[in-house]
Amino acid sequence: MFAPGQSHTAVKNTAPELVLPFYFYAALSLLAGTILLFFSADSFTQSHLHPHVLAITHIMALGWGTMIILGASHQLVPVIIEKSLYSQKLAYTSFFLAATGIPLLVYAFYTFNMAAPAKWGGRLVLLAVICYVVNLSKTIFSSRQKNVHAWFILAASGWLLFTVSLGLALVYNFSFSFLPANSFKYLPLHAHAGIIGWFLLLIIGVGARLIPMFLISKYTNSTLLWFIFGLINAGLISFTIIFLFIPGTVGFLLPIFLILIAIILFAWFCYKSFKQRIRRQVDEQMKTSLLSVWMMLLPFIFLMSIVGWLFTDMMSSRMTLVYGFIIFFGWITAIIFGMTFKTMPFIVWNTIYGQKAGIGKTPNPKDLFSNTVFKYMLFIYLVGFVLFIVGAVLAQTVLLCIAAAILILAAVLYNFNVIKLLLHKPIAK
Amino acid sequence: MNVITNNQLKCTVALAALESVIDPEIGLNVVDLGLIYQLDFDEPQKKLFVSMTLTTQFCPMGESITAAVKRALENTFDGESVMLELTFDPPWNHNRISEEGKQFLSK
Repeated sequence: MFAPGQSHTAVKNTAPELVLPFYFYAALSLLAGTILLFFSADSFTQSHLHPHVLAITHIMALGWGTMIILGASHQLVPVIIEKSLYSQKLAYTSFFLAATGIPLLVYAFYTFNMAAPAKWGGRLVLLAVICYVVNLSKTIFSSRQKNVHAWFILAASGWLLFTVSLGLALVYNFSFSFLPANSFKYLPLHAHAGIIGWFLLLIIGVGARLIPMFLISKYTNSTLLWFIFGLINAGLISFTIIFLFIPGTVGFLLPIFLILIAIILFAWFCYKSFKQRIRRQVDEQMKTSLLSVWMMLLPFIFLMSIVGWLFTDMMSSRMTLVYGFIIFFGWITAIIFGMTFKTMPFIVWNTIYGQKAGIGKTPNPKDLFSNTVFKYMLFIYLVGFVLFIVGAVLAQTVLLCIAAAILILAAVLYNFNVIKLLLHKPIAK
Repeated sequence: MNVITNNQLKCTVALAALESVIDPEIGLNVVDLGLIYQLDFDEPQKKLFVSMTLTTQFCPMGESITAAVKRALENTFDGESVMLELTFDPPWNHNRISEEGKQFLSK
């Protein structure tokens, strides 16, 4: 006879009303970012410190990348660590603070007004991140499950806090000059703490969980993931020390090497997961996510070019522009494109059909958005992405404008599918 | 698939009913996925005990899949109360997928 063993309940999902505004905000930010790219195409033939470039970088990093990751992590962290989110109120607060602060900050950079708009924008974003970090830490530390994925997420949120705190300090430094050097000198530290510490750690931590899960892969290797975790953090800490205390040395090659090894190992992890998958058919969304893993290696090619061209200022600046573009419009955008349509349809499906499951036939989550539009979006995006890189390397404004217009079209198609999902009404089959 | 049971006949009926419960992400039913561990029938008490798992403890569709399993069994065995236990001991692994399931996934 049945003897109840150790029973569990499925982890309580975070309310979709809390998660979906982050997705929608991010989709609008992508559109706004590509429109700004079109109207500021000329600035991409100049310096990476051009105000318009800084504005675009921040709308892509905060409005697009960070907002969608904040939303997705509110949904994914509870299921990864098997503990409900500590506070939904803190999550809402985080959303409203960030949603208000980001446009202020982007406006401040676009007009290069480092007074009230930049300071208020920075303060609100910092408060949003504090709310997020408190919420996340409380959730993770109250759970018995502290697997490698949870540590990736926790460390990433710590680097995010460091990035935005430093960013706000740099804004204040424009007015009060309390740091030893001018604010622009600290931008590489601010940027890489965000790119590597926040985006890379989080994407690897969550990706290493989701990619084998969606592929139904037999491959698991938490030792390798711990090693990758150590390499990235060691790389970033060594970069910070070298940057602050022994600048201008070849010592920078050490963090570059450590992080490059970590990315190659993660690509290897994904390759093994892919090879040992049970599910042979891989959908477009997974293919896009896997493509983005290889895209992680592209910035390193340009990083090497920057090191190589270090003494010819204009070329170095142009390569830095391309380097940043590849990170935000390439790697981060590609993984978000893929993962949006792997996670969002399930959130919407769960909301509408979760309680109806088993009663009658319900549509598949994949049917809630248009896969044809997704395929067109992906093709158009890749064309725009490659053209923009060519335009930036050759400093051709016309080519940059054409590429930006193509990217706007890709953003419109992305928004179309996001809105289609948000407006989905129950279908009784 | 290896499902432990104390009533083979009713178990066959129950599994046939559960073939209508599809994991929405994978597109395969819970029986061929090997999510059902045990089905026991307490005839005098009119109770049906089901022990099942999910492909991962992190499954965001967990709530809807377990609700659908419960509902499918309640609809099939009218008047019997269904008690569902979700367990991860032992955890699900790919060896639990039936031959039909493997064929479906290898398409």
